[in-house]
Amino acid sequence: MAELLAGLGTSHVPSIAAALDKGLRDSDEWKPFFDGYVPAQDWVAGHKPDIAVVIFNDHGNSFFLDRVPTLALGVADEYRPADEGWGPRPVPNFIGAADFAWHLADRMVEGHFDPLICRELDVDHGMQVPMELVFGRPDAWPVKVVPILVNTIQYPIPTPQRMWDLGRLLREAIASYPTDEKILVMGTGGLSHQLQGARAGFINPQADREWIAKIGADPARYRAMSREDYVEEFGSEGAELIMWLVMRGCMDADVRTLHQHYFAPASMTGAGMVLLENMR
Amino acid sequence: MTSPDRIPDTPLFDRPRANAGYALNKMAMGLSSPEGRAAFLADEDAYLDRFALTPDQRAAVKARDWAEMVRLGGNLFYILKISAVDPTPIREIGAAQAGMDLQEFLDTRLGKVTNG
Repeated sequence: MAELLAGLGTSHVPSIAAALDKGLRDSDEWKPFFDGYVPAQDWVAGHKPDIAVVIFNDHGNSFFLDRVPTLALGVADEYRPADEGWGPRPVPNFIGAADFAWHLADRMVEGHFDPLICRELDVDHGMQVPMELVFGRPDAWPVKVVPILVNTIQYPIPTPQRMWDLGRLLREAIASYPTDEKILVMGTGGLSHQLQGARAGFINPQADREWIAKIGADPARYRAMSREDYVEEFGSEGAELIMWLVMRGCMDADVRTLHQHYFAPASMTGAGMVLLENMR
Repeated sequence: MTSPDRIPDTPLFDRPRANAGYALNKMAMGLSSPEGRAAFLADEDAYLDRFALTPDQRAAVKARDWAEMVRLGGNLFYILKISAVDPTPIREIGAAQAGMDLQEFLDTRLGKVTNG
């Protein structure tokens, strides 16, 4: 059966992409942020995952408000970077792990999750940035991908508990997949930020650091919180953090935190990552 | 048009806002294609005519009044595309909504200390 190699939670802030595109990786402003990812990059490179399942939200690029899938699953052979208004970014196309994606589609529907199944899909910074943070900017990505897109923009968005349950299902789908491929599950979004309204610019570094510290060892509180609790504690767009629960939910109760990093502010956002491994 | 929000100054994009802002957000979504961006830059009024904006929404777009666009149902992820044809840093959009100048916004919200 396939193996869950590790779970990784990370920000997907578009300013990270802009910084890379402008050659600011080693600038005074950005170097501490990017340097904090190096140990996790090295760990992943050394463990050679075959597939990355990336859970993220579209930001009004793949889907408009005419139809809003609460959950969408990519089963395509290839995904192109989306045009978010500035033209598609110069990152390689992503090769889809279509076989595993269809297996996951089967398991999801049988498990009473009913995603929009996407055969043709451009992917925005929600997927691009995590891939770049983990794998750099290669000529070709070293893993195949399975995108899972969650609506976190238009209410009602799914509940934190639902995200956790999706993680449990993903765990079963990995365990029942009859190959020996190694799968990296990436929950993305956050950390605290708010782009809308008079509270724009809200960040909460203390809550972010607590999240980074506890998402591995003690995630129970974050499952039980309401969506409104997330908005209050992490900001209106900080509620994206619910997608880390898919990653955490697919892991064992006992995990080891291999690497963690936090930096604020990245543009208008608390940013960082955590890399988790099941205790074995 | 806005529903009461439990969290102050935090407009969740719910049914009333999604309804009120649909045309405004659709206009902005049109800027995610090269053709839409070219049309906006060539003749902004003619581009806006394609969409059923209210007079208030149209005025807010023309004035690049970000707080007003959000108040009228605009969602940042869509209206941000206006900043792709009329470059505006995201932090300035944040400051405008907070009702602050940029430096005050950076200092009080983001704890940002700029050099020099």
